[in-house]
Amino acid sequence: MIGVGLLLHTKQLSRSSFEIATALIVPVVQATLAVYLFRAGDEPGRLLEAAVGAGLMGVWSSVLFGSGGAIQRQRWQGTLEMIMLAPRAPALMILPITLATAVTGTYAMLATLLWGRLLYGIPLHFAHPLLFLIAVPGCILGLGMFGLLLASTFVLMRNANALTNTLEYPIWLVSGMLVPLTVLPGWTGPIAAALPTTWGARAVHEAASGGPVWPSLGICLAISLGCLVVGALMMTYVERRARAAATLALA
Amino acid sequence: MTALFRLIGVGGVIAYRALFNWTTPAMFIGSLLVGPIFQLLFFAYLGRQLGVADDRFYIVGNAVLAASLSCVFGGTMAVANERRFGTLGHVLLSPRSRTAVFLGRVLPYAGNGLLIAVSTLTIGSLLLGLRMPVGALPALLLTLAVAALACGFFGLTLGAVGLRFRDVWVVSNVSVALLLLLTGVNVPAAGLPGWMRAVGEVLPITHAAQAARRLAAGEGFAAAAPALTAELAVGLGYAVLAAALLKIFEAESRRRASLDTV
Repeated sequence: MIGVGLLLHTKQLSRSSFEIATALIVPVVQATLAVYLFRAGDEPGRLLEAAVGAGLMGVWSSVLFGSGGAIQRQRWQGTLEMIMLAPRAPALMILPITLATAVTGTYAMLATLLWGRLLYGIPLHFAHPLLFLIAVPGCILGLGMFGLLLASTFVLMRNANALTNTLEYPIWLVSGMLVPLTVLPGWTGPIAAALPTTWGARAVHEAASGGPVWPSLGICLAISLGCLVVGALMMTYVERRARAAATLALA
Repeated sequence: MTALFRLIGVGGVIAYRALFNWTTPAMFIGSLLVGPIFQLLFFAYLGRQLGVADDRFYIVGNAVLAASLSCVFGGTMAVANERRFGTLGHVLLSPRSRTAVFLGRVLPYAGNGLLIAVSTLTIGSLLLGLRMPVGALPALLLTLAVAALACGFFGLTLGAVGLRFRDVWVVSNVSVALLLLLTGVNVPAAGLPGWMRAVGEVLPITHAAQAARRLAAGEGFAAAAPALTAELAVGLGYAVLAAALLKIFEAESRRRASLDTV
């Protein structure tokens, strides 16, 4: 069911010109910015890191805005009631949506790598090419599970949009997607360590530039699994509360 | 003349309240005040790590850029949300000058942009320990106001495009991302290729960021004046372009009876 749901929602998101433009053009602009910044900083050897980092930023944006607005979008489409009427746990109905937003985010990764290769001649010499092909889907799976927690949290908040708009840059920053964690103030360390985005980004960067990929990927998936459990519990609670108060379409 | 100013001023404020009605204090603070500060910190730390430029470069540049967020989207909303709420036809039926009506709508968003830019500059400076020359503050405020106004007219131009094309929000999102790249706010202009610099010259923010950096460096108003004048010219250019596009697209949509359907 998760597989079919994932396919359905990925197709649906892929038909939205807004989603595609946001997933393709904006990350490419950010990758271009990163390339010129790294060049200006006399770091041409790290251009692959810049392209991968910009791609990861695109994946996070897709998960953040997609998962954050997952419930609201279903509400606007008039399909939320039908989803909640299905004889399945609500989390199982919403998880394919959040996973689909992460899968749509891979367009960003592909776009930034292709853009970097074709336009700036960045050699795609990954330190661990096979592990890169494992780390990216692993990171996406992790972020999709984290997305369920976001979706269930945001449905509780009327002002979720404010949080989604606010969370884009902090997570890019604290997760070390483009800025190494070593240059950030020490107090950000524990926050970074608790986020699956940090470990997912680390695994992808290690696969691209060298380093032990498995531990980072394992930690990313473990934290994400925790987020999935908490998100599922929260989703069940929210659904029951909305049914009891008859506010499913209104909350 | 009083009636015209009333139309621009009062009309702009009423439209702002009507079209921006979905916001709340939490959303305003989260999206428009807190978000730009994290954007500033992101580029300041990246710039530090790469040794591209000092903190002042990023604080001042991103503070000026912060004005663009509300102004570009606000200017777009000023037209696009009329259609979304089904009131565009009523506005265009009005016997008053639509140019004045729409240009007046930019003013509240420009005020918003100025507030955001000032708050980003203040908080960014406090967080990263940048001291501004006190004597430069009035000119800096003027620069931020001009940047906000130029961005508002740029947004209105995009909104006018929305009279003809449906996916105006894609255009706005991409435009905001391009401002990040092409205005030299985060990459020193010397590090960008010639064609990007040329495009940046006709975009809002570019010249205002240059002027603000000169003022923050204590070079005085005379040094910043040429860039400030250039920003004003860019803003006026977009105001004229927006007015022309609104007129053309309004006439075309009346002719094709496609006002609410395109």
